[in-house]
Amino acid sequence: MTDWMMAIAILLPVVSGLLILAVRNYFARGVIVVLTAVVLIANSLLFATKGPMTYTPSPGFDWATLIAVLDYAILVTYLVIGFKYRNWLVLLFTATQLIPLLYFEFIMKAHVHPEPAFVVDHLAIVMTLIISIIGSLICVYAIRYMRDHEEHLHLAKSRQSRFLFWLVLFLGAMNGLVFANNLVWLYFFWEVTTLCCFMLIAHDKTKIALENAARALWMNATGGTAFILGIIYLYVTQGGSSALSVQNIIGGNVHGAAMLLPVALLCYTGCTKAAQMPFQSWLLGAMVAPTPVSALLHSSTMVKAGVYLVLRFAPAYAGTYLSTAVAIVGAFTFFGASALAISQTTGKRVLAYSTIANLGLIIACAGINTPLSIAAAILLIIFHAISKGLLFLCAGAIEHQIWSREIEDMEGLAAKAPLVTLITAAGMLSMFLPPFGMLLGKWVALEAAYKVPLAAIFFVLASSLTIVFWTKWLGRLLEVMPKLGWPLEKLSPSYSVPLWTLFIGIFVIGIGIGPIYSSFISSATSNVISGMSAIVASSWSDIALTSSGAKGGAAVLGLFPLWSLYVVLGIALVLPMLFMGLKPTQLRQVYLCGEQSGGVDTDEWLAEADVKTKFILGGYYFQGTVGEKAMNPWVNTVAILLLAVMIGCGVFVR
Amino acid sequence: MNELTIVIATIVLAPIVGGLLFGIDRRITARLQGRYGPPILQPFYDFFKLLGKEGIAVSKMQFVWIYCYLILMIASLLCLVLRADFLVLVFLLGFAGVSLVLGGFSTKSPYSHFGANRELLQILAYEPVLLLLAVGIYAKNGTFLISAITAHEEPMLASLWPLFLAVLYVLTIKMRKSPFDIATSHHAHQEIVKGITTEFSGPFLAIYELTEWYEIVLLLGVIALFWANPLWVGLLIAFAAFLLELVVDNIAARMTARWMVRLSWSIGLFLGIVNIAYLYMTKGVF
Amino acid sequence: MGWITKSRVKSPWIMHFDNSSCNGCDIEVLACLTPLYDVERFGIVNMGNPKHADVLLITGPVNRRTGRVLRNLYDQVPNPKMVIAVGTCASSGGVFHNCYNVLGGVDKVVPVDVYVPGCAARPEAIIDAVVIALGELAGGRRHFWVKCPHCEQDHEVTDQRWTI
Repeated sequence: MTDWMMAIAILLPVVSGLLILAVRNYFARGVIVVLTAVVLIANSLLFATKGPMTYTPSPGFDWATLIAVLDYAILVTYLVIGFKYRNWLVLLFTATQLIPLLYFEFIMKAHVHPEPAFVVDHLAIVMTLIISIIGSLICVYAIRYMRDHEEHLHLAKSRQSRFLFWLVLFLGAMNGLVFANNLVWLYFFWEVTTLCCFMLIAHDKTKIALENAARALWMNATGGTAFILGIIYLYVTQGGSSALSVQNIIGGNVHGAAMLLPVALLCYTGCTKAAQMPFQSWLLGAMVAPTPVSALLHSSTMVKAGVYLVLRFAPAYAGTYLSTAVAIVGAFTFFGASALAISQTTGKRVLAYSTIANLGLIIACAGINTPLSIAAAILLIIFHAISKGLLFLCAGAIEHQIWSREIEDMEGLAAKAPLVTLITAAGMLSMFLPPFGMLLGKWVALEAAYKVPLAAIFFVLASSLTIVFWTKWLGRLLEVMPKLGWPLEKLSPSYSVPLWTLFIGIFVIGIGIGPIYSSFISSATSNVISGMSAIVASSWSDIALTSSGAKGGAAVLGLFPLWSLYVVLGIALVLPMLFMGLKPTQLRQVYLCGEQSGGVDTDEWLAEADVKTKFILGGYYFQGTVGEKAMNPWVNTVAILLLAVMIGCGVFVR
Repeated sequence: MNELTIVIATIVLAPIVGGLLFGIDRRITARLQGRYGPPILQPFYDFFKLLGKEGIAVSKMQFVWIYCYLILMIASLLCLVLRADFLVLVFLLGFAGVSLVLGGFSTKSPYSHFGANRELLQILAYEPVLLLLAVGIYAKNGTFLISAITAHEEPMLASLWPLFLAVLYVLTIKMRKSPFDIATSHHAHQEIVKGITTEFSGPFLAIYELTEWYEIVLLLGVIALFWANPLWVGLLIAFAAFLLELVVDNIAARMTARWMVRLSWSIGLFLGIVNIAYLYMTKGVF
Repeated sequence: MGWITKSRVKSPWIMHFDNSSCNGCDIEVLACLTPLYDVERFGIVNMGNPKHADVLLITGPVNRRTGRVLRNLYDQVPNPKMVIAVGTCASSGGVFHNCYNVLGGVDKVVPVDVYVPGCAARPEAIIDAVVIALGELAGGRRHFWVKCPHCEQDHEVTDQRWTI
């Protein structure tokens, strides 16, 4: 049974990916993707019902050698890419990965076989649920999206199969990543996600797509370098393969101050993949890819792998200065990215900055490193995956309605596409307002942040900035002329099924967070923190303010009747939308100093010499204050310094 | 049962108190300007007149959002009187502000858009101060619960006075008083028609006015929390703060939105951060 | 007199609109707001926005361009509404009545409830006009114009809905 479940989670995406690559028919390909999605979702639910388990593949097949071979295959692919596009940074950072790996496996003749190879605990189950359900929905969405995309581009030869192959493969790699206990295997899955990411960003093969894909590659390759160096350091100092088991590291079985450096390196690796400042540019560059890629990268895969790594190793650095440094790195990114998001004129870039910001918040929660903050981090991972997945799918649907990604072009979308606007608005509101999950996460995070007040202050500033950029954008969508009865648009099922599922998901998970918390998240939290040593725990109790913090998330979530906020929302927003109506006779023109040119729903006025002129409204972007040109230099400098301090904490502060 | 009584009493009494406060405001302002001024009950006359007017609108969403504004403001006020979580109060107040902004945005009207953009900047100016106040309360009491504040013997003002100063100008912004009457103004010198309320008329404007009454009660209530034991001292302080706002309104000119944000993000945040840092140091967390 | 009618009388919000006046009457209208006359005593507030207004206070003769604007503003004032023509020009066209571009008094474009004579009209007269208009409002006599959606023509409607 376990054999099959693991095989489906990790290998089925590979197999169906290859099938998709072979099939050239749109309909057959769609069926394969939908079937894969259904099986993956069912499988993840099976994991959830069966609970935690461990698994080591039977020794009949030499998986370790296969993985080593594939490792080299991936790195050689990077080298080929580097040569082909003359990108020296890619070559350099591939070399810094390849040489230590060769040294590790051939000179040191390391044999790494920690038992068990895979550990599926509650945290991994939460992750696999997110990956399988949200990721699969995005793959379903991509079926139709890519056809529209290629029709719009007028491609001679369809490349949809190739696209879907990498998309589905991504899910398998992510599942492997969250299950792996063997650090070397974790490294392998890590590199597979980096490769998938490169291939998907470069998919359109335009000059800018290739450049941005290469940037994503080299930035992640620096993370990979840190990863492999961390592995070697652990292997050398701790002597033997037992040190390379994730459970051993976080379980406190691998002791000593020497532990901190590799953990700091792993945190750095997590930060690169989670696009923390100063690495945000790769995720922003990834926006050139077709929208399902962005949806997948931002919600359920890739960046979530980064925060997963930092969160997973949280007990290994609990109670150290490294932990505080991680918290501040994350909190600063939360602040910086939220400010930069205000200046963005492209919808997808706003979403990207928002993702970076929220990942910063999650990493900060991991760094604060109390049971409460870990619970907050897991809550945020779940809610962010749902909301951001939904928002990107909406962004794609909007793009295929108006063929633009600019916020200014989305003006009055509520009139052109009321359904998509409704879903988008719900997604946006769920990102920053009560009673939705993201805000619940922020609430718990603020409650937990008593330990690192600087992080709390960054949270406060960033939350205020978050309100501004979401409201600004939502306001542009809602801007309509006085008219009643906008016709609803038609959506293909490939769009509408994922959109409505996630839309309902926001509310169901949000309202049912109490039971979900007690059955899943609390045990996932305890999975994370179980390893914290007694010394660390006692140092917490010295802090005067721990009283409510130590009670854990259940206390906070239990104290406040969250459903009452949903009732308020229902009375305030849903009821009037359903039951309040206007009569056509109640409509009036907007006030234009009496200079309108005609009927009620006109946006023309009589300018000089009675010429009918359309009036145009635009949003504020404050490029001079929070634009990339104004902010980037100092934000990136501070971020680099903070990263240096973080690694320094791993080296010098014991 | 007892809680239900409090809820109903709040929903009924708060607008009466708020309306009277606005009446006093208009009377005192007139006296400060050398005029006689309207009757104290004037806000109520305005309100009932607006209720009796024809309900004209420019879009359906506009009126959904203004209604949402009212309900969320009431919910926020209920958080205060039921002594629930202070952070939830701030979040609900933020949502209320956002729904007013969206009400302004939900039609293609230039004047309404000016106002909505400025209201958004106002949110940017006051939201961090209120959230810092929440953090300050947490640093002091170890919980966000308002019931813990009212249970304390020592007034919060003693250790949170810099945040109190910061909250005073939040009050100026929220009461739409000069120099911060940026999104819309009570005075005729408003140069961009009527800012965010331009497109609201008749009963919808009445809802807006009603919400403002709830809002002033909520804000003065938050200020009263600074001296919650005995509460009458806190209420006196709140009333004094209210009178101070009227004086400031009449001696200050209206400033720009950017100036407001800059001031708030420099002085306001400085006060808040120093306050919290001091609290943490005295608690010995560092 | 019901609550709402009583409130209506006590809270007339005005919008001042200048057609093509010589600005003499406008200065007198603004003089009403000064401490000497202080119309806020009666709840009168100058709104500058038709959507908030109850009373349209119009100065100057109507010409072809301002007539269009005036009509648009009139349509944006929610019912019940009053129109006061302030000054001789607004009442009849005054000294401008023969100009090539002047249509005449305000009543050529919108129905007028109260005419205020004078060149320029005195503040006392303006305040008196508002009081007379309010008396009419309280008495329940109301008529106003609506644009018929079918024939695009203006119809004069006497509507009892606004008298409570």
